[in-house]
Amino acid sequence: MGETARRARLSPAEVTEQSMPGIGRRFDLPLGDDQSIVTVIHHSGRRDLYVLAAGHEEPAATASLSDAQARTLSAILGGAYFKPSVVEEIESVVGGLLIDWVTVSEDSRGAGQSIADLEIRRHTGMTVAAIVRDDDAILAPEPTEVLRAEDRLVVLGRPDDLIRFRRHVIDP
Amino acid sequence: MSNELIAVGGALITAALLARLGRRIGFPTIPLFMLAGVVFGPHTPGLDLVEDPGDLGLLATLGLILLLFHLGLEFNISGLTSGGRKLLGTGALYLALNMTGGLLFALALGWGVAEAFVIAGAVGISSSAIVTKLVTELRRLANPETRVILGIIVVEDLFLAVYLAALQPLLGDADSLVSAIGEFAVALGFLVVLAVIARWGATAVGRLVPTDDDELLTVSFVGLAVLVAGIASELGVSDAIGAFMIGLIVAETAAAERISRLVLPLRDTFAAVFFFAFGLSIDPADLGSVTAVVAGAVVLTLILNVVAGLITARWYKFSRVAALNISFTTLGRGELSLILASLAIAAGLDERIAPLIGAYVLILAVVGPLLSSRSTAIAKRIPQRAP
Repeated sequence: MGETARRARLSPAEVTEQSMPGIGRRFDLPLGDDQSIVTVIHHSGRRDLYVLAAGHEEPAATASLSDAQARTLSAILGGAYFKPSVVEEIESVVGGLLIDWVTVSEDSRGAGQSIADLEIRRHTGMTVAAIVRDDDAILAPEPTEVLRAEDRLVVLGRPDDLIRFRRHVIDP
Repeated sequence: MSNELIAVGGALITAALLARLGRRIGFPTIPLFMLAGVVFGPHTPGLDLVEDPGDLGLLATLGLILLLFHLGLEFNISGLTSGGRKLLGTGALYLALNMTGGLLFALALGWGVAEAFVIAGAVGISSSAIVTKLVTELRRLANPETRVILGIIVVEDLFLAVYLAALQPLLGDADSLVSAIGEFAVALGFLVVLAVIARWGATAVGRLVPTDDDELLTVSFVGLAVLVAGIASELGVSDAIGAFMIGLIVAETAAAERISRLVLPLRDTFAAVFFFAFGLSIDPADLGSVTAVVAGAVVLTLILNVVAGLITARWYKFSRVAALNISFTTLGRGELSLILASLAIAAGLDERIAPLIGAYVLILAVVGPLLSSRSTAIAKRIPQRAP
């Protein structure tokens, strides 16, 4: 699952960027099926969205958002409020740093053990930045924190280390 | 002093109120700011907010300077070069058609040579402000032809700077060919010096000012713009070109985007005073003498724009609708036409230029958006022969 998601993940090369003199910048994201979404970011902060279908002169849909609305929408799309379980394990890489959410299950190796016991950083190179447990977030958990089933861990590290982390903490 | 304050405050308020009314029917703001000046000026019955247009003189000039400074600042050379020769060619086609048409039209009607060149520029150059607003409002930013429209606008903006320099001898007080050439040389030399600074000295200019403080940034760069405009004016080059060129230079610095954002509200305020002040110089009684000319100029622009749009669409293999989108969207005339007209008035050319260009801009402000939003319907009515 994780591997498919990674391959399907958008590489920046798929987005094309253009400058629009006097207006701002335009970003094209092809969706396949001859559809694409065009985002125009105005100098004023306004965002315009256009859904285009090949062969149609008029856009299928348009929307205009303020800066604040655009940020809210991007947070919704990014899964900040609700992450469907199928895509839960899609990680994001920013400047070579990977940030991912992983969920501890009942039969995970790490369930019932503390971060120190597992020696997570030494064995995997990853850092547990936060634990989301029953809607509470434990930021920068102490090494003595014991992982439980259903915990959602926010982990940071190098992309290559994620597999080792899964093997060490999440897998049965 | 109190008189002047009431004049400035009244000008801004009435301009804003009128533009607000117009916005409901999709009317661009610039022509309405000007209309407010006509209505509340000394030439019309009723309330005269401003008895003496001179009361607004300095502030209107600031508006002109900030308009051109911002135009230079926003000028995007990469937008020009990324489109390649084809886009440059399209812009050139637009200018050549519209300006040649305007020039011949004015000469044929017996206007003086200097006046004819001003009219050619005023009817030949679209308003970047109105056009960009229109494509945004009509939600055409993703259309393929919009890139071409914006390209045309960029070419026209750049052309305006060169044209202002070229007009200098005509607008100046040169009384012989030699002194006219001399003035043109000074204007051109000044442009070249500024262009060289723009190319190689922008980082030095950027270093003059601390860029981490919005307050200092605004004060420094508005000061720089006004100072350079003043020096340009002193050298016999117009303040407008000076402001545009310093804008181009600042555009190359790292802080360009922030300066542009900071200067924008100032520009909007003082530009409104400028348009209002231009309206003051229009005497509606003079309109009678230019009615036919205005109508002729509007029809001419309409025809030439449609022709240019059709040719452009053929080059780019665009549809008939896209062709008309290009034609009608670029109809908008505004700040650049009014700037040219106000420079002509300041230089003492035929005063009928003010009502002519004023009425022309006002009519196209209605006709442009009206036609542009209906280009699909209009395209269907045009007999379908091979484009």
